[in-house]
Amino acid sequence: MDFVTLGGNLFGTIPLGDIVLYVTPLNLFLFGVLIIFTLLIAISKTETQVEATLMKLSNTNVKVGKSEFKQRRFLAVICGIASAGAMITGDLFNFTLFMALIGILNIGIVSAVKQTTVLNSAYQYGLIAMMCSLPLFGGAAIILASTGTLSLFELSQLPPNPMVIFGAVLMLLGILGESGVAPFFASKAEMFRTPGSPFIVIIHLSSLFIIVRAVEILLLVLG
Amino acid sequence: MKIGRLWNKLANPNNVPRLFAFCLAVILIVGFVVPMALNPDQLYVRPSPQLQAEDGVNLAPYDRGGEVLKEPVIVKAQYPENSEELGMISAYMSPLAQWISSISPYFGTSIYSSPGGLIDEVLYYTRGFDTILESSILMMSFVIASWLTVNYTMNRRDIEKDIKKAASDSAKLAREVKVSDEKSRLKQLRRDN
Repeated sequence: MDFVTLGGNLFGTIPLGDIVLYVTPLNLFLFGVLIIFTLLIAISKTETQVEATLMKLSNTNVKVGKSEFKQRRFLAVICGIASAGAMITGDLFNFTLFMALIGILNIGIVSAVKQTTVLNSAYQYGLIAMMCSLPLFGGAAIILASTGTLSLFELSQLPPNPMVIFGAVLMLLGILGESGVAPFFASKAEMFRTPGSPFIVIIHLSSLFIIVRAVEILLLVLG
Repeated sequence: MKIGRLWNKLANPNNVPRLFAFCLAVILIVGFVVPMALNPDQLYVRPSPQLQAEDGVNLAPYDRGGEVLKEPVIVKAQYPENSEELGMISAYMSPLAQWISSISPYFGTSIYSSPGGLIDEVLYYTRGFDTILESSILMMSFVIASWLTVNYTMNRRDIEKDIKKAASDSAKLAREVKVSDEKSRLKQLRRDN
């Protein structure tokens, strides 16, 4: 499929050697929303959860310590920037690298919580993220071997062959696992049942945006 | 099996990696029957290794010609207009490498002569942004690991407090369970009598 059919008129490109970022209305919108959200996160404070205490009338506050707050804010801001970068990248391998970065940061944001259930699901998500590097990079490598290019501009012009379709299916599986879409939702959904709301939400938001972008990229490759 | 029970199993995070690994294995097995054909017009071309070895080139199979800062070596870019100085430094060899290549015809096949020039040019020039991202992935994992190490294994004082709290909590819970057990046993005895 063509760029113009999917994302609207091309506003311009940002050439970085062989990696050319491109800006269409769709990509620009996704990029802008993520940057605005990242700015909001950078100036916000964590929420405090109030839990009922067992066998007592008083409540317990589940707070986030100061150094943990700083660490989480740092990782959340980097995660927001990485997701924003994935929105405008025009290179297949670049996109998979952004996804791998987001996966690492998602684990990092919840790595210091004290709930064991959250840590367990983060561990399980880490296992999936590790496995995902095979289909993600393998899919991109197969598409490169079959077409000789990684640039989405060139890929959108080439007709797909069976090998490209296989590579795209591999990449799709990697994206499904990394962003926690059903049926692989459980580990990622359990990860953000913990205090520290605005930073935790970036885990969810990045995977939502990545899915939209991945659909666009797969349509470009297969169209 | 009911589909509800299946969904309940999927909602347990421990089962998700297994399911993912299974799906991945199925797709990779399907991959064996997909016809694989490499594109002959690859982005990063190079001549077949035997050609240069038979010609007796010292740098075989990695000789790409060219002269440092004067003449570019054989290397392709997707967008040559974005990288105009491409191939100018790929031919560089350190003095030691030059000396070894002058005395040995096997320089190109040894471990210390891996084609660093070309790979460096691809990594740092045409695909430099990828290299930045790769190293930032590594950096972020080091940030996470070192933060956890500093705050959860070296800062013992905080941890002792946490352990004490957890121990007292669990002792309290055990006591409560014991009391309620006794109560229910008494109730059962009363009912039996």
